[in-house]
Amino acid sequence: MARIQLTINDREYDLLIGAHDMLSTVIREKAGLKGTKVGCSQGSCGACTVLVNDEPVLACVTPAMRCHQARITTIEGLALQGTPHLLQQKFVEKGAIQCGFCTPGMVLTALHHVEQEHDNSVDGIKEALSGNLCRCTGYKKIIEAVAEYAQEVASGSTVPAAEVPEGMVGTSRPYLEAARKAQGTATYADDLAPVNALHVRFLRSPHPHARILRIDTAAALALPGVRYVATGEELPTPFGVLPISQDETAMAIGKTRYIGEIVAAVAADTEAIANKACSLVEVDYEPIRSFLTMEDSLADTGEHEKIHAHTRGTNNVHKKAELRFGDQAKGLAEAEVVSRMDFTMEGVNHGFTEPHAASAYWDENGLTVTTATQVTHYLHRALAKVLELPLHRVRVIKPTVGGGFGGKSDPFPHEMIVAHLARRTGRPTRTCLSREEVFLTNHGRHPSRMTIQLGADRDGTLKVLDADIVIDGGAYGSFGVVTSYYNGVLLQAPYKLDNFGFVTRRVYTNKPQSGAMRGHGAVNSRFAVESLIDDISHRIGMDPVELRMKNFLDANTLTVGQYRITSNGSRESIQAVARSSGWSERRGNLPDGRGLGVGCGFFISGSALPIIRNDLPQSTVHLKVDFDGRVLITSGANDIGQGSDTMLAIIVGEVLGIDMERLFVLGADTLLTPVDLGSYSSRVTFMAGNAAKDAAEQLRAAIANAVAVRHDVPQAELVFAGARVHSNDRRVDLSWEEAIEALTAGRGAVSVSGKYISPKLGGDFKGAGAGLSPSYSFGACVAEVEVDPQTGHVKVLDVWGAHDCGKALNPLAVEGQLEGSWHMGIGQALSEEMRYHEGLLVNNNFLDYRIPTTLDTPTIHTHIIETMDPEGPFGAKECGEGALHPVIPAIANAIFNAVGVRVTKLPIHAEDVLALIKAKAAHNEPIPQRP
Amino acid sequence: MNTHPDSLYLRPLTVRDAVRMAGEHINDHRYLAGGTDLLVNRFQGNDATPCLIDLSGIEALHQVTVTDQWLRIGALVRLNDLMTDPTVLAEFPGLQLAAHAVGSPMIRRTATLGGNLLCENRCSFYNQSEWWRDAVGRCLKCDGDICIATGGRKACFSKLSSDTAPMLIALDAQVEVAVPGDTITMPVRDLYTGDGMAPFALPPAALVQAVLVPMGRGFRTAFRKLRRREAVDFSSLTTAVSVDAAGKVRIVVGAVDPGPVVVEGTTADDRAELILKAFKKARVIDNDTFPRTYRKEMITVFLERCFADIDATTNN
Repeated sequence: MARIQLTINDREYDLLIGAHDMLSTVIREKAGLKGTKVGCSQGSCGACTVLVNDEPVLACVTPAMRCHQARITTIEGLALQGTPHLLQQKFVEKGAIQCGFCTPGMVLTALHHVEQEHDNSVDGIKEALSGNLCRCTGYKKIIEAVAEYAQEVASGSTVPAAEVPEGMVGTSRPYLEAARKAQGTATYADDLAPVNALHVRFLRSPHPHARILRIDTAAALALPGVRYVATGEELPTPFGVLPISQDETAMAIGKTRYIGEIVAAVAADTEAIANKACSLVEVDYEPIRSFLTMEDSLADTGEHEKIHAHTRGTNNVHKKAELRFGDQAKGLAEAEVVSRMDFTMEGVNHGFTEPHAASAYWDENGLTVTTATQVTHYLHRALAKVLELPLHRVRVIKPTVGGGFGGKSDPFPHEMIVAHLARRTGRPTRTCLSREEVFLTNHGRHPSRMTIQLGADRDGTLKVLDADIVIDGGAYGSFGVVTSYYNGVLLQAPYKLDNFGFVTRRVYTNKPQSGAMRGHGAVNSRFAVESLIDDISHRIGMDPVELRMKNFLDANTLTVGQYRITSNGSRESIQAVARSSGWSERRGNLPDGRGLGVGCGFFISGSALPIIRNDLPQSTVHLKVDFDGRVLITSGANDIGQGSDTMLAIIVGEVLGIDMERLFVLGADTLLTPVDLGSYSSRVTFMAGNAAKDAAEQLRAAIANAVAVRHDVPQAELVFAGARVHSNDRRVDLSWEEAIEALTAGRGAVSVSGKYISPKLGGDFKGAGAGLSPSYSFGACVAEVEVDPQTGHVKVLDVWGAHDCGKALNPLAVEGQLEGSWHMGIGQALSEEMRYHEGLLVNNNFLDYRIPTTLDTPTIHTHIIETMDPEGPFGAKECGEGALHPVIPAIANAIFNAVGVRVTKLPIHAEDVLALIKAKAAHNEPIPQRP
Repeated sequence: MNTHPDSLYLRPLTVRDAVRMAGEHINDHRYLAGGTDLLVNRFQGNDATPCLIDLSGIEALHQVTVTDQWLRIGALVRLNDLMTDPTVLAEFPGLQLAAHAVGSPMIRRTATLGGNLLCENRCSFYNQSEWWRDAVGRCLKCDGDICIATGGRKACFSKLSSDTAPMLIALDAQVEVAVPGDTITMPVRDLYTGDGMAPFALPPAALVQAVLVPMGRGFRTAFRKLRRREAVDFSSLTTAVSVDAAGKVRIVVGAVDPGPVVVEGTTADDRAELILKAFKKARVIDNDTFPRTYRKEMITVFLERCFADIDATTNN
């Protein structure tokens, strides 16, 4: 141990620390300042940035002892007497904050840049922030915030914040909690670890497929400070997010199915002791034949043991999903042009900046688990099942969550284990996964391969689509059955196709499991189909925008698989990006190596069917108003940084005519909030939003009734606006508080409950439920790229995107979702992939898993398309996932436009592009379409 | 995190003290410069020496001085400061590019020139957690029997990962090394053994205290780096080329071999021949995000471009 003196945020600390402790550990665990975040523990993400003697440093790779007697400023130290620093205000106002986990580091890095450097151009800011990763925003709004702050510092005059107009719906506003995130006081799961909690660490399997012959925990248990060592048999009940895929246990029992699967868990006084104890657990394995590729798993297993005994065939196929409408063979024979291609896509990971973290304790109320989750409700059920508890003895609390993107939408082993170990030890427990463990936990997008055929007539009319798809599910089920369907069914729009069929096989392999990730199921197949459309346009000599315009489905129609399309902004979207990118003037007139490409998208706005069949509404929202006039909104919906709490407040405020100050949102605590199914399938705005609207309308009616009775005015005459309730003639004109006084008189606090239940939808055939949604989103992207013909390097220069979100309830938040989706798509297109060596994930960190930095992110041009969905709350539908779909094919198609090669592999590697360019040259084909 | 009860953290104020401390812990110390590389290797269990000697408090190591003969850069000068040093900007723009190519702005605010020169060699199978390396079956570089990246060879091909080393070698730079009781000077090039197992040719307790870049040689230089992203990433191929006033040509290629690949010639030589020599010397294996064949192929492309860059500066 060593003694250190530090001044942190003007307060002096005299601490006893480990001689080799890092500064981030000391700040968080010794000084208790949790605003400093740790995202990667290797200096690759920048979340831990603090100022040491006014210089930004990466606290996770700075020895604390180096900072002896130094002056340290953490994010908590920027605000002055409670007033946020101007730069923090800019981050809030500009919508530069979504999940907020990167924000402390981003703010401190930016602050130093503006104060010390001279280049405050956009390029200068991008350069300065290129060591700080953000997974949510696409950096656009962060750069805007920093640029405006820099301008104010330079000019000495303040650009006033845009006045937020009175209205609620349609008005841009920061998230409710944005200021807390900017100041580092928002609390994430690991920040809330209970006092005196034991640290939980995991022993993970080094074998992809092996029998467990023996586990000896004696040496681990004998280590001083170890309180419990758990193994699989203690939690034998299987779980999984889908009722049909309850195929996973908290720890491996009998055998392991992937490298990284948890085999034992230790609860100990410190993290170091817990880690040491894990290494002392002795496990004898007997490796058996592993299945690491899709081909391996499709093939007959012969005498070898299958990954899961429950699968039907003599192979490792988990699910075969197939639907057919019309006759594809006939359609393909009759089509005048057929494009057929084989595609391969590597798996990608969500890359949320906040690692999984959870804590648990038991008291007179049973079990309480606080965890970074998108699905409090499903976790509630899974914990009750696995820990064999009645549902009423389980409480799941979702704190502030540092991003999810589908990666926190399953119940997880570590959540079961911390609960179990807290029960066994009688002590609170905590765990925070390392970034390597986050990657091993995975549940990311399925690696895929597919052969797709698209047929059209020479006039550009699409006639037939047939897709043969294999997806690599890894070791367990997760959402995979849904993913299998989505890969196919979500291809039946946005184009009119009478003749459409697909088959998807999801295979188990001995790798970390795949699951749901932003744009779930349809991202890869959408990339494929949009590439085929581009090919057909090229072959028949038709502008790809024109071809798409010709084939779009209309609004208020049915697809071939009987999806009910209501609002549809496809045409508006593609026209917006064609116009703003200068498509028709510039395409074909660009310098050598440059190209423009276009792609479209289509996605559900909430799954119409709940995962667990029951008669509960899909979302319930409670409102309570008491004498003080504040309206409490309680909802089980999980705000994970996408802004759903703010969305609920906007809707309630709009209905009741009151402002944000009178609204308070309590989200996702299964003891206190009514059930919402969670943040997945882009369902929250549509479903929780409608439930909130329903509740607010009930509350308004109750208030109107009370006011009508007390003031003798017809209810129909009453207007709710500007925090007043008044009659049209203003004879009655009450403040909000006076109206609430009328409501609560003789009655006290009033609570109402609103709900959303999806209408009955869809056809009457097996599989008809897949992809059903009360509404669908549409969108388009144009990308401009520059391709280096000698290296194959692709640089995306600009992305123009448009997305039909029905109605932007909060345009600032919608833009943020769209820009983040496009950014994530650019990553999958060019630099992100999960690489394996014999089942072992090679790039399990933020250095080698390459999320685009500011410098890799092009200029993004954002267009919101509004089509006023007839059933969405105030016309709104999803904007958080579907926007990802068009950007990947837009980039690939732009490469074709630039150098005439068709890329059918994701990510698009320079080496592959170069090989294609050379192959083309070898065939003596001139690079066509030289712009 | 290391909470070994015997953990020692020493913070000398002079080079002499540092070398003395190292002598006292001769087999179990590491010098710590910025630490952005060493500490991550320690987190991953690739280094567990209990005694860290943090050099950051030694004022003399942070100095940059210029004489007629040398630009002398203290080993602890941060890459960020090097990039903005007026002499570097005026005389050695290639060195500015090389420093800028390292990591990210955040890394460069901590990482130092000396640390970058002695950045541990890298390999997909080595820069991993202890658990991971156990799972894959430990390679030569971490107490195993064979090189896993090559599927069983008995040599280590972990790649040189410094971006500044190729440029400094191209600039014919020297290093000043403090050893117990003495200071020696040697070419930067001689720091590297070319053996991935033990990539640095330094005696025990030796401390690189400064880099000396010769002045007045009239260098024209070019520098390029291959990576997937435009920031953060380590190099997959680094090329540095210099031509001095006497017409001496030096090609240095990094990240494609356990050591720097150096080819020397003159402006009278056939460039393609020189490039081919470098191409042939590089022992590239599949231990990187880019495939071996592509990195090898890009050596030629990058070197041709470096020469073109130099031609362009000449024509200006």
